[in-house]
Amino acid sequence: MDFNPCMKHKVVRKAVRMFAEAEIGPIAHDIDRDARFPMEVVEKMRPLNFFGLQAPKAYGGAEMDTISYAIVIEEISRISAAVGLCLTVHNSVGIYPIVRFGTEEQKKRFLPAMTGGERIGAFCLTEANAGSDAGGVETVAVRDGNDYVINGTKIFVTNGGVCGTALIFAITDTQNPQRSAGVFIVEKGNPGFAVGEIEDLCGMRANPVSSLFLEECRVPETNLLGRPGDGIKIGLATLDAGRIGIAAQALGLAQAAFEDSVRYSKERQQFKKPISSFQTIQNYLADMATEIDAARLLLFRACAVRDAGRPFGAEAAMAKLFCSATATRVTNTAVQIHGGYGYSKEYDVERYFRDAKVTEIYEGTSEVQRMVISRAVLAQRT
Amino acid sequence: MITKKRGIWVFGDYRNYFQNRVTLQLLSRAKELAAKIDAKVCAVVFGHGVDELVGEYIAHGAEKIYLTDHPRLAVYSMETYTLLMERLARQEKPEIILIGATAFGREFAPRVAKRLGTGLTADCIGLDIDKEDLLLQMAPSFGGNLVAEIVTPERRPQMATVRPGTFQEISHDYIRTGEVVKVPLPEHLPVDRVRLVRLERCPQREQKLEDARVVVCGGRGLGSKKKFAKLFELAELLGGEVGATRPVVYADWAEHDALVGQAGKQIRPQILFSFGISGAIQHTAACNDAKFIIAVNKNPNAAMMKRADVAIVADASQLCNSLIQALKRRIR
Amino acid sequence: MLKLVVCIKQVPMVSELPWDPATGTLQRDLAEGMMNPACRSALDTALRIKETAGGEITAITMGPPMAEEVLREAIALGADRGVLLTDRKMAGADTSVTSHTLARAIEKACPGFELVLCGFSTSDSETAQVGPQLAEELDIPGVAYVDEIEVSGGAVRMRRISDHFLETLEMDLPGIVTVTTGHYAPRHVPLGGLQAAFTAAQIVTLDAAAVGLDSEWIGAKGSATKIRNVYSPTAGKKNIVLTGAPKRIVEQLFERFDDKIGGAIGKDLKTDKNSK
Repeated sequence: MDFNPCMKHKVVRKAVRMFAEAEIGPIAHDIDRDARFPMEVVEKMRPLNFFGLQAPKAYGGAEMDTISYAIVIEEISRISAAVGLCLTVHNSVGIYPIVRFGTEEQKKRFLPAMTGGERIGAFCLTEANAGSDAGGVETVAVRDGNDYVINGTKIFVTNGGVCGTALIFAITDTQNPQRSAGVFIVEKGNPGFAVGEIEDLCGMRANPVSSLFLEECRVPETNLLGRPGDGIKIGLATLDAGRIGIAAQALGLAQAAFEDSVRYSKERQQFKKPISSFQTIQNYLADMATEIDAARLLLFRACAVRDAGRPFGAEAAMAKLFCSATATRVTNTAVQIHGGYGYSKEYDVERYFRDAKVTEIYEGTSEVQRMVISRAVLAQRT
Repeated sequence: MITKKRGIWVFGDYRNYFQNRVTLQLLSRAKELAAKIDAKVCAVVFGHGVDELVGEYIAHGAEKIYLTDHPRLAVYSMETYTLLMERLARQEKPEIILIGATAFGREFAPRVAKRLGTGLTADCIGLDIDKEDLLLQMAPSFGGNLVAEIVTPERRPQMATVRPGTFQEISHDYIRTGEVVKVPLPEHLPVDRVRLVRLERCPQREQKLEDARVVVCGGRGLGSKKKFAKLFELAELLGGEVGATRPVVYADWAEHDALVGQAGKQIRPQILFSFGISGAIQHTAACNDAKFIIAVNKNPNAAMMKRADVAIVADASQLCNSLIQALKRRIR
Repeated sequence: MLKLVVCIKQVPMVSELPWDPATGTLQRDLAEGMMNPACRSALDTALRIKETAGGEITAITMGPPMAEEVLREAIALGADRGVLLTDRKMAGADTSVTSHTLARAIEKACPGFELVLCGFSTSDSETAQVGPQLAEELDIPGVAYVDEIEVSGGAVRMRRISDHFLETLEMDLPGIVTVTTGHYAPRHVPLGGLQAAFTAAQIVTLDAAAVGLDSEWIGAKGSATKIRNVYSPTAGKKNIVLTGAPKRIVEQLFERFDDKIGGAIGKDLKTDKNSK
């Protein structure tokens, strides 16, 4: 067992850090303040394969291992969690289901534009009455000849405002929602597909999270992913992968808050001494460092299990649960260390603090993660 | 009379006024160093029709001039000059060779050092003689954050390039006399392998920021584009120019032209006002030549504050406004 | 096909240096390495030549084993192969010994090379000497501080600004140039290329014996210059700290430094006309 990052992972981290600090760093504060999605950053990320991190080379992807993938998301999120969110959603719940469950024809038709970043991906499960409970989905896809006609409203869609390819979770039989769920690929420009208002959220403000409307939206049957009724299966597999990305995003936030806290505590003087010389602050920093380290190890373990081709659902859930809890705790402490300045929008820790909370909510709440983990635990210890 | 055996050589770099000033500055320092090791200050001049310079170098402290005057040397040539310097140094064995850290000097010196098999220290910001009579060469590194003291203990000559402006030239004295040694151009001089296709004087590009006596620099600590814009008012009152850090240029508070830093402009004002700048090395490296720095930052431990002569702990934008008001009252 | 060689140095990532501000010392072994910015420009120039005129790029570096990182990065950016010179004996080399080592390695590992490109200077030691000395060692024509370069046939045409002169120069190949930064914004590393650089790419590792270096001309031992002392010019700098209300600070500033400020702007600031 080797706990040192290999040279590849070190170089990936440095390359992404350099990109993020140079190209996103200068605007990270402003895009949050203005709730503006930075299309200029997307333009710069496109040729560098950020939109096809793990997709196969044959479809224009970088074919990265999962640890590299997590490092990319962590480093981007360290600078802007909202941009990190765009990438992780696009890559792990936008592209991955098509790679895993799509036919060759679907892969050829949809993936190149996605891996090239021309079409940003979104995964649409949540509705007014359905979130953790996928069975509550009310969006309906009705078969009509060789087409499906979809009707419904999706809410809280990450990347919603800019998505070019949306995976829509819908049921085909209202009598039997669980068994009839399917995932349909709908593209921007498809008649009957419209973007709703951008949500006014606490954090992640640079990401255009929105609702999406489907009104008599007609797609060919070849846009159905997998077989009719595969929806729940696809959804669960997608979420497993998505959790690794969200865990990495949360980790990046925690890391950023931690680094700012260390720097600030050395600079800030009270009672004629830097506050880092006080034991209370030292204890805060020690706890932050320990939790971040533990979170990262847990995340990399989940990545390694996935790369080894073994089931990783419980590991991903543990990583997501712990990384997101770490992010909220660490960003909270970071604000505390910064005192009044930490509560000011002038300092980045205020943004980290707002951004962190949602990592405990989306891609499965912490309660759902515990459900997943406990099921695995109980299955083992009979 | 005992003859001074050792020579301290200064390469006569004269192609333009700027280059020539460095040469005069080096002659001045060479004179002081020569007094410590009982050496003779010599200037080495290659060119054509450069008698006037010979006189100037003597007036500025050179006791001996090695002069190669030939039409072939009318235009600077890296390979020919290297060859001439190598031959002359092998023959005369100087103790020290000093070369101005001009663009030409910084390419020429390493070639000469290589041929002579000796060491060379780059872009020195200080020179002295140590207890063992060795040339102590102070070389900056890491953007001026570190200075290394370097010596060349065994091989000779000891060689250094020196940053322009490091030393003060002494006032000329046309009564001073010196010996002029005419060194003939060697026969069968090889043709330069690098061909000069065109040589133009650079158009007099406006170097307002680079040459400004007062620079007002702003960083993200100012808070907003609107607050940053106040710097222009301040700069106008001070008769100075506005500079900016990379994040500020990136956020579009200032034009790219205003960027002070490794990727932008090097400044050398008499006074630098620095507002809300933390002091990333890429920025501070470009401010090393500022004579007097007044920095304003809420954080007293910011790198820029440590570097400043006067560190003002305050909100950068507020202080900028107060300064504008005070100046308006005082100037008039 | 043009045979291009790019010399690359791994330098400490300056923004992340573990500095001790009190003493001004840094722990270099704790610092993360990165590709020297000017070397990035040299690589970028080589890539542009390759894209327009065709060519094969060898990236070469001398350093500790960790320096392999910058070769992988260079390959990810489009270099075709990497050569790593690493040997404990090579440590502590000054520019003269470094250029000797590099020259012998280039001759050994890149026979028939046509154009060598270096960054004009490194961000750590800032000597800008290795390129010109490499020209001497290889005994080929060389030009430093090149801004623009164009290859045609067996020759290159270069432009540079040198001491307020705009020079257009030409030389036949083989030759060597050092490239300035700032003319092009160097590209970022593509992630797909990086994956491939760690799976498919070849790196040749050479030590002093493999290069055939004379033990008298290696590392610190062969170097003519010795570092006596390193210090921080700003450490312990005594500065004046002013605190309080902005108005009061500004008054103090004028009280104490009116000569300095007034002198620089050429105006008399001694009296506050309204304060009487």
